[in-house]
Amino acid sequence: MKVLVTAKRVVDPDVKVKLDGSGNLDLSNVEYKLNPFDEYGVEEAVKLKEAGKADEVIVVSVGTSDSQKEIRTALAMGADRGILVEVDEDEDLDPLTIAKLINGVVQREEPQLILLGKLAVDAENNQVGQMLGALTGFGQGTFAYRLDIEDGYAIVGREVDGGTADVKVALPAIVTADLRLNEPRYASLPGIMKAKKKPLDVLTPDDLDVEVDAQVRVVGYELPPERAAGVIVADVDELIEKLRNEAKVIG
Amino acid sequence: MAMNFWSKGPLYNPSEEHAALRESVARWALANLDEQADEHDAVEEFNIGLFRRMAQELGIFGVTVPEEAGGLGMDATAAVIIHEELSRFDPAYTLSYLAHEVLFVNNFFNSSNADQRERYLKKVTDGTWLAGMAMSEPGAGTDVLGMRTTVRPDGDGWRLNGTKQWITNSTLGDVFLVYAKNEDPDGRSLSSFIVESSWEGFSVGRKEAKMGMRQSPTAQLIFDNVYIPRENLLGVEGGALVGMMRNLEIERLTLAAQSVGIAMQATEVMSDYAINERRAFGKPLSAFGQIQRFIGEAYAKTEAARALTYQAAKSTSADTRNSLGAAAAKLVATTTAEEVARNAIQTLGGYGYTREYKMERLLRDAILLSIGGGTNEAMQKNITGDIVRMIRR
Ligand SMILES: Cc1cc2nc3c(=O)[nH]c(=O)nc-3n(C[C@H](O)[C@H](O)[C@H](O)COP(=O)(O)OP(=O)(O)OC[C@H]3O[C@@H](n4cnc5c(N)ncnc54)[C@H](O)[C@@H]3O)c2cc1C
Repeated sequence: MKVLVTAKRVVDPDVKVKLDGSGNLDLSNVEYKLNPFDEYGVEEAVKLKEAGKADEVIVVSVGTSDSQKEIRTALAMGADRGILVEVDEDEDLDPLTIAKLINGVVQREEPQLILLGKLAVDAENNQVGQMLGALTGFGQGTFAYRLDIEDGYAIVGREVDGGTADVKVALPAIVTADLRLNEPRYASLPGIMKAKKKPLDVLTPDDLDVEVDAQVRVVGYELPPERAAGVIVADVDELIEKLRNEAKVIG
Repeated sequence: MAMNFWSKGPLYNPSEEHAALRESVARWALANLDEQADEHDAVEEFNIGLFRRMAQELGIFGVTVPEEAGGLGMDATAAVIIHEELSRFDPAYTLSYLAHEVLFVNNFFNSSNADQRERYLKKVTDGTWLAGMAMSEPGAGTDVLGMRTTVRPDGDGWRLNGTKQWITNSTLGDVFLVYAKNEDPDGRSLSSFIVESSWEGFSVGRKEAKMGMRQSPTAQLIFDNVYIPRENLLGVEGGALVGMMRNLEIERLTLAAQSVGIAMQATEVMSDYAINERRAFGKPLSAFGQIQRFIGEAYAKTEAARALTYQAAKSTSADTRNSLGAAAAKLVATTTAEEVARNAIQTLGGYGYTREYKMERLLRDAILLSIGGGTNEAMQKNITGDIVRMIRR
């Protein structure tokens, strides 16, 4: 079985993002890393390979040439080869465009299983996996906390409101990874040295016959309003009094 | 909170692999080292379980050993990156790693033959065996050539007799690289041997109680007529001095890197505290000039020590020697670590003196770095000695 897994380059979620004077993101001093939800996908794909259920793990990223770094991270974790769909830095990419580009790779590679993060921690759209399902016509299991591959099916344990639900999806299938799916390994130094020699192909949207024409564009960023400083109340009575008369949240 | 005010660029991460290594080690250290450091400092026990797990999860053993020999084929800069990132959270754990990886593995590899690599390299790079190096003695530290441990030919091998002092990893180690004098009239010819702790006549003295570096076990090694077979001679008989001096360079660089890690951590802790946490007289501490001097000097001196250490690492390898650079880096970085850790405690006031903010542990640990691997006075002596040789008319 061939597994395709995504690796998006995102701003390190631990850094505090600032805005410049004109309402754009100030990315001058931020670090980038592999989207944590994609990390779960990569770990799951590598585990399937170690368990003998996958023969090849291909990692794909859509982004600028800088995204090669995140592909190499996935290769260091154990993926076999990488594909970068390279786009210009100033190109707007909406979830549908990204799903079309990944679909282009799916048509070329014909994987049996496609693993994606449930969302990327930068824009938090949570759309690409589902859109890819529509474009490919494959079944999908989103928000996976558990994944088994058996007799041509993916059995996906899903996180849903108020509990979990299992679905059985015929392969080829799309699975998006949620938090509890696994504990991603570190890129070890031997893994990093091996990754250096693994193949990484660069494709353009033209190679995939996809026109990049985003229908959704970011028009501006705004920081949430500063919260006023809190007050320390003396006792529960004062708290109730303030909730009732100042905040007016209790009767 | 990740603080992004440290210099970046090719001096610090010369290749993509260096950058990936730094990222992995930093993440691993934050997730695994921080939480166990205080506890292992308090009980004065090395976290050998974590060390073995690190071998699996990060695989940072045999870093400087060429790939064709089964190592990772990286350089002194990679070793510096690892020691800097680990030492931020636990310098004592890192010291034991250093004794294993730099004092034994790197040293052993550079002087070993194919048979010895076959017998030992895998065991010390997959986490099975813990290793160390024994040079210092009760009566000979800086004056290392005054050592009195000797080897005497016996049959096809040698008999080893003597005592080594303050040996890191001694209480738990499986194998040691031991320097000893040949019983010859000029008294200067040194040999090095691979000695296993299971051999007859090998024993370990009482574990030392120390000011800092408490997680890292330190004790005497006592050799009572230990038989060393011929195949465990490292390099040529009487020719160990070159290997010893060569390995001291990367040892000093990685000790400098440990100091840099401490200084970076201290700078971050004091900055965060003074800017975001503590207020006095209605202002954050960072509004006061005296605190600005602590922060400003901590940042500038740490950056300087860091730049010097990475600069020296660029020209340090088994073939390209750089004793002057390594000595300079160690002198500057260790002094900086002590000063910055001390001023971090001062900035934190009472909280700095208590264990809550970990700065007192980092200061206790930092002081060893001005002593081990050659004292700061020895660095001053060596730098001057090198310069004398270069410019004396
Ligand atoms: C925690 C710890 C771990 C260690 N681990 C190891 C290990 O794994 N393997 C190992 O072999 N050793 C190890 N050592 C030993 C360490 O390398 C020595 O302590 C160090 O080299 C200094 O030697 P010394 O302690 O004998 O000091 P001395 O040489 O006795 O020095 C005492 C003082 O005199 C000064 N001095 C000495 N000679 C001169 C001179 N010529 N000019 C000016 N000043 C001078 C020194 O700078 C120092 O201030 C360790 C030590 C410690 C504390």
